[in-house]
Amino acid sequence: MNHKKRTLLISGIILLVGILLLSALFFYPHEQQRTVVVYTSVDQVFSEPIFRSFENQTGIKVLPVYDVEADKTTGLVNRLLAEKTNPQADVFWSAEFVQTLLLKNESVLAPYSSPSAYDIPAKYRDPDNYWAGFGGRARVFIVNTDRLSPDNYPHSIYDMLDSRYPGKSIGIAYPIFGTMATQSAALYSVLGQDKARLLLTDLNKRGIRTVDGNSVVRDLVSSGQLDFGLTDSDDACNAIQMGSHVTIILPDQKEGEMGTLIIPSTIALIAGAHHIEEGKAFIDFVLDPNTETSLVTAGWIQLPSRNISVHSPCIGNTEIHGMAVNYTDIYPGLERTKQDLTEIFVR
Amino acid sequence: MAGMLSFFQKCRSCISQRTIVYVVCLLAFFIIVFGPLLGLFLDLIKTLLSGSGKITLSLLFSERKIVLLGESVGLALAVSIAGIGVGIAIATLLWQTGKKITYSILLLLLALAPIPPYIYALTWSTTLYALNQFLASIGAALVPSTGWVISFWVQLMALLPLAIFLSYIGLASVDKTLVEAARTIRSDGRVLREIILPLAAPSLLVACGFLFLISITDYSVPSLFGSDTYALDIFAQFSASNSPSATFISAIPLLIVTIAVLILCRSGIRKLAQTPNWMVGSWDTPPEFPTSFQSIQKGAFALLAVQMMVIFFGLVFSVGSWNKFVSTVLFSVNQLQYSCLVVIAVVLITIPFSLLVAHELMNQNARSSLWWLIILIPIAIPSPLIGIGIISFWNIPTLSFLYGTSLMPIFASVSRFAPYAVIILFVQYRFIDPVLFDAVKVFSRDIIDEWFEVKIPLLAPGLLIASGVVAALTLGELGATIVVVPPGHETLTIKIYNYLHYGASAEVTGLCLIMAIVTFIIGLCAVSSILWWRRRGILNQAVPRIGDLNE
Repeated sequence: MNHKKRTLLISGIILLVGILLLSALFFYPHEQQRTVVVYTSVDQVFSEPIFRSFENQTGIKVLPVYDVEADKTTGLVNRLLAEKTNPQADVFWSAEFVQTLLLKNESVLAPYSSPSAYDIPAKYRDPDNYWAGFGGRARVFIVNTDRLSPDNYPHSIYDMLDSRYPGKSIGIAYPIFGTMATQSAALYSVLGQDKARLLLTDLNKRGIRTVDGNSVVRDLVSSGQLDFGLTDSDDACNAIQMGSHVTIILPDQKEGEMGTLIIPSTIALIAGAHHIEEGKAFIDFVLDPNTETSLVTAGWIQLPSRNISVHSPCIGNTEIHGMAVNYTDIYPGLERTKQDLTEIFVR
Repeated sequence: MAGMLSFFQKCRSCISQRTIVYVVCLLAFFIIVFGPLLGLFLDLIKTLLSGSGKITLSLLFSERKIVLLGESVGLALAVSIAGIGVGIAIATLLWQTGKKITYSILLLLLALAPIPPYIYALTWSTTLYALNQFLASIGAALVPSTGWVISFWVQLMALLPLAIFLSYIGLASVDKTLVEAARTIRSDGRVLREIILPLAAPSLLVACGFLFLISITDYSVPSLFGSDTYALDIFAQFSASNSPSATFISAIPLLIVTIAVLILCRSGIRKLAQTPNWMVGSWDTPPEFPTSFQSIQKGAFALLAVQMMVIFFGLVFSVGSWNKFVSTVLFSVNQLQYSCLVVIAVVLITIPFSLLVAHELMNQNARSSLWWLIILIPIAIPSPLIGIGIISFWNIPTLSFLYGTSLMPIFASVSRFAPYAVIILFVQYRFIDPVLFDAVKVFSRDIIDEWFEVKIPLLAPGLLIASGVVAALTLGELGATIVVVPPGHETLTIKIYNYLHYGASAEVTGLCLIMAIVTFIIGLCAVSSILWWRRRGILNQAVPRIGDLNE
């Protein structure tokens, strides 16, 4: 190899190494600015505007890590558990409550009593102040209005066993993952293990479509591939907003029925967080009634936790009969319920 | 003290500087690729020592699990064999077209590889629904919308682009001179049946193995069509227990199956003895096959056409207007930039290390068997577990300065996809006459001459194909990346899945199109590089240059 070629070669290698180093430096977190690291399972389209508002108001930069439904809700929570000895996150903002209870149980969270939570009902707050809940979503039926007439709309979870509806025309997400798992655990808590197991086993025997997530249920009902399905109210509202021919039915609302599960968002400070003050400031901001108002308007929250001036454009101010369940009672049986449902549904 | 000094001096005289660099590089590769597994293993030991009830024998064996594994293996086998069958039919059809058309089609197929399987599944689900509505309107029998048959079909369609790409590479591994010699005495049909397919069988077996691995570790397509797989059960275990150790244990049966498949592929690779000409078809004049085979080719092409139409119309109709597409691109510039930089870094780290390991695999000794094990195991581990393993391994006080940086998603992809690069480069090594390497060792003046004048030109096709495959896989990586991505950063794939959940179909399809375009550009760069080298005669002159080195 002649001298010119060798020089070119060495220059090329130096350039490559330089690019790598610069990339590493470029992506290194900027510590000069005040930052807060937020792990969130709230949809990015809803959480991102809240982050921007917080940044504008406080000057603290939010460094988010988002979860996705596709990884079966195993992503962020397991990351937090694995990082327990050297936490990277300051705040965990969850789209539901069970994962937060798990993190509290595993000593991942630190107590913090936010002044913004003063008017949030006690049932949405941890007695030891490890987490606070606000603005809820409900488990609802999304019904395709082209395929079912109003007199044939389902009104109870038990209608999924009704022979009027072919099994393959009904959809649920796998009861082992996400909010469907939470609802199943709630059913185990309210109905008792035997009755709940029988209900879910019968559903499986009927051959109802068990799909990858709540958004898939929404998509299949919206496109007319299913008559109806069980999903989260934000997913169903989103379909209505997109102009799909669907409607929302709140299940089990009649006198004497069990009601539907209401799932609050929860927020918590991480034990050993590097930016404690910034984390607390962020929690205060999210729990502020103004943020809850923004999230109702944006469509993430359908059931505000307190009296605020706006109502969900999709559900309105309908009085909802919630399932009589204590959130902290659901968690202890969750793992057993999931194992049980894996045996029933994954075969 | 003096004794120790003399010991080190003795060691230094025994070990050359080149050996030290070689060993350090192999060690670095081992740490990056096998680190997550070590992390998981340490976690498992800790869990076992703590006497946690989460580790039970039922995680490994139960009737339900055995049935599930059997069904998953059956589906993966059916998909991979059918994929290679269709792939062979279409690859042989490509021989009958011009080079430009062939390259364009291959690039297009590569570009479709990183689109998430879920997009294929959803598009097919909508198409089937429309088809059933039409069939119902004419009173015909409906196509089943759930079950193993439809899961097989959609997974086959989702993997078809990759299957054709791999089949083409497999068939192109056959020495052109053997084909042309056979054509003088046998019909083209018999040449294909008696010469090309037997000679390409090891490469096609490897391609089949790749497809099998992708199929058996995917749960998204089967689960949309009501078929449960073992991969889903692993996620169910993870979700229920939140225990990486328990999940690792429950993944062992799948691990055994995938390692068995890879060992089978390894024996196939070892039988390779031809000289590849991956960028040239195996025919000087287009072949003429018997009518029966032509019908199979037409059928296979019809399948590809249907698949292309379904995905093309599914994507293009959903993307909405041009303005919407542009706004999606502008809104995702940061994610695009970040994804591209991660891809570049992964390729830059993966390829040199993979070359060294591929070289190690060439030896027929215990060390090479150990390296096979090291590169095979990560392929079979579910992606979130790789992410958790990375946290367990790197998020410790002594290494925590690296944790939380972008090196983690880079290492995650290197750990997951370097084994593929190693296998591709090992195949390329097998294609090259080892006498050439021995000769260059004797005649070269230094290591730079050895590599840049001879070895890299000889290995170039394999290097570029490995880079393209690693880049495409990295671009679509989700499970491990989401567990280790540094706060404040996001890849294009994470954004796609975020929008997918929200139901923003226009944005999702816009982002998928961007992914396809980026992969297409990567593939185009790889092919252009080979063509440029070929035009300059660098590839063909590598062998004569060994003689030049001696002058």
